[in-house]
Amino acid sequence: MAPAATFLPLAVLLPLGAAAALLMLSHWLPPRSADMAATIVSLLLAVLCGWLAWRGLDQPIVHWFAGWNPASAGRPDVRLGISFAADAPSAAVSAFYALLFAASFVFSWGYFDKVHAHFHVLMLLFLAAMIGFCLTRDLFNLFVWFELMSIAAFALTAYPLRESSLEGALNFIVTNTIASFSMLMGIGILYARTGTLDFALMAHAIAGHDGALAAGGFCLLAVALMTKAAIVPFHFWLSDAHAVAPSPVSVIFSGAMVSAGCFGLFKIVIGIFPLDRAVVAFVHDGLPWFGIVTAILGGLTAWAQRHLKRLLAFSTIAHLGIVLIGVATLTPAGEAGMLLYIGGHGLIKAALFMIAGILLARFNSCDEITLYGRGRSLWPAGLAMAVGALLLANAPVGLLYRAGDVIDHAIGWRTASVAAVLSSALTGGALLRAAARIFLGCSGAPGPERNAPTEREREKSDRPLWLMLLPCCLLLALALLPADLLEPFLRRAARTLLASSNMDAAATAALRQTLPASAFLAPGLAVGLAFLSLMRRRPVSRIARAAARLEMLPFRGLDILHSGFVTDYVVWMALGLGAIAMVFSLT
Amino acid sequence: MSVLPWCVAAWLFAVGIYGIATSRHYVHLVGCLSVCQSATYVLLLAVGFHWHAGPPIFYDHPPGTPAVDPVVQALVLTDIVIGATVTALLLAIVVQAHKLSGSVDPQRLRPLRPNA
Repeated sequence: MAPAATFLPLAVLLPLGAAAALLMLSHWLPPRSADMAATIVSLLLAVLCGWLAWRGLDQPIVHWFAGWNPASAGRPDVRLGISFAADAPSAAVSAFYALLFAASFVFSWGYFDKVHAHFHVLMLLFLAAMIGFCLTRDLFNLFVWFELMSIAAFALTAYPLRESSLEGALNFIVTNTIASFSMLMGIGILYARTGTLDFALMAHAIAGHDGALAAGGFCLLAVALMTKAAIVPFHFWLSDAHAVAPSPVSVIFSGAMVSAGCFGLFKIVIGIFPLDRAVVAFVHDGLPWFGIVTAILGGLTAWAQRHLKRLLAFSTIAHLGIVLIGVATLTPAGEAGMLLYIGGHGLIKAALFMIAGILLARFNSCDEITLYGRGRSLWPAGLAMAVGALLLANAPVGLLYRAGDVIDHAIGWRTASVAAVLSSALTGGALLRAAARIFLGCSGAPGPERNAPTEREREKSDRPLWLMLLPCCLLLALALLPADLLEPFLRRAARTLLASSNMDAAATAALRQTLPASAFLAPGLAVGLAFLSLMRRRPVSRIARAAARLEMLPFRGLDILHSGFVTDYVVWMALGLGAIAMVFSLT
Repeated sequence: MSVLPWCVAAWLFAVGIYGIATSRHYVHLVGCLSVCQSATYVLLLAVGFHWHAGPPIFYDHPPGTPAVDPVVQALVLTDIVIGATVTALLLAIVVQAHKLSGSVDPQRLRPLRPNA
């Protein structure tokens, strides 16, 4: 076996082993050693997965566990073993996740020293599950990693044991557990149809025979992964969970876990259904609509928030809509853009959640109206937040802009472009508004955000500021890297992955070399919106008050929609399943 | 394979979802979640079932005799373990939430109350 294939299982064994060791030794370890060990393990994993991505660029690196390779069954149509395959995109995404975990561990240095190493154990389990989820090539194995990822995330959300975080965790658990049941049913149906759980054999069995069973199985899998990826109407849990989880955990949730849902959907479509015409048609023509609705709804709701973590949560929903549009392109260029978007968005969102964490640690609040002007002494954080907000608003520099541009080209829908501009402008504008209020003390009577949910909370406050700012600034610097460094690699990676299917490989849209004027549309809109909202004065005349009430109406509707009650969310999920089935039958 | 187990699975899932959507007590809700999960058991076992086939244990009869599919049974076993974990975690969190807020009504507990 080649050395790369031998080292492949280390990608999950290392974090699992480290977690077990930390758990055993947690009562004897000196303080901070768990922080150090977890950071080193994540960095090692980032290096390992990066190396695997580079080695797997032309040919995926495959490892059959315990030597149960296809030959051992003695029949070509039977595979007894379970395999990991490190193709370049999967390994690259794993490396990126490991890097985010390392940054989050540095950020949370000393945060959790009261509770032995339990936080680190859960986080390392979480990381192992995410990497396993990315690398596996067996559908049931995928489910197990998915479930491990969920359970680690559930426990991490409920961790602070405050009223809000417990209630947010309950919503998170119930919705995501229903999603995993849906996934399991999908797996059962696909197993009934194909008689195997191996990606390649399933693809072979499904190829060419469009059947209702395969379609039903795919719809159920899509429900599960879209719930994880927080696509409307499965997104309700996200704003609750992200707003109440401890900020180092929110960093991972927004930067990594949610995008893993979209990446999983991508892997399943190209791994199992590349030759199923009905599924490919649904992904290509139906999914973008889900993405568009998600992007616009997420952007609008983010605009009307005052609790910074909740605002960021809705902005994540909006941007995941764009990632979903990237998944739906099904061209090498579009998928490369999708991978780049996951990276760029993850870096920026992680950095912004760290700033929310810094505010929580210093002022026990991350409410932009409560904190009005109190952040002046923390100007470096304010600067970082402004940079992050502008990048999120698609300012034409760095990874995110290029990724959005590539996806926009690859899909070629006018509606999708409008949705991307709107959601970028709204989320970026909301963040700029919050940054100006908190760090500059700019005033302006609050508009629709005044009635949004908020809460005071407390996070451990004696951590040094520089240690919290360092990972945040590093991540932002990475997000500012020129995309030319990464994009050719991702493009080649996506092409090798799509080569096995007969999808449209010729469509590699030429990139625009010069910046068009439209590149400044979204950031310009964002700055304009933020400026307008800061210029707002209390409505005095009767007409102004009527206008303000009228403006409030749609946001009030959105607020009622996001009720916070898990019973409502479950109804929405059932309706969402119906919507997927309906769109599927229409495409 | 008959259609009956598929219908039972669909019915169990629908009933479970209905129970969750109308629940007024978190312990009841966790119970309904288990009902939903039973739907997955029924579905998986139905997928692997064959008439006139024995258990997939070849201790006392020779290999090659018809047996039900052991793969789905392994899946169900894994599923049960996962279900137990989730149920335990949920109930533990419900107990903590009850300690703090004094309520176990899912239609009363909500994170980040609106700022009215």
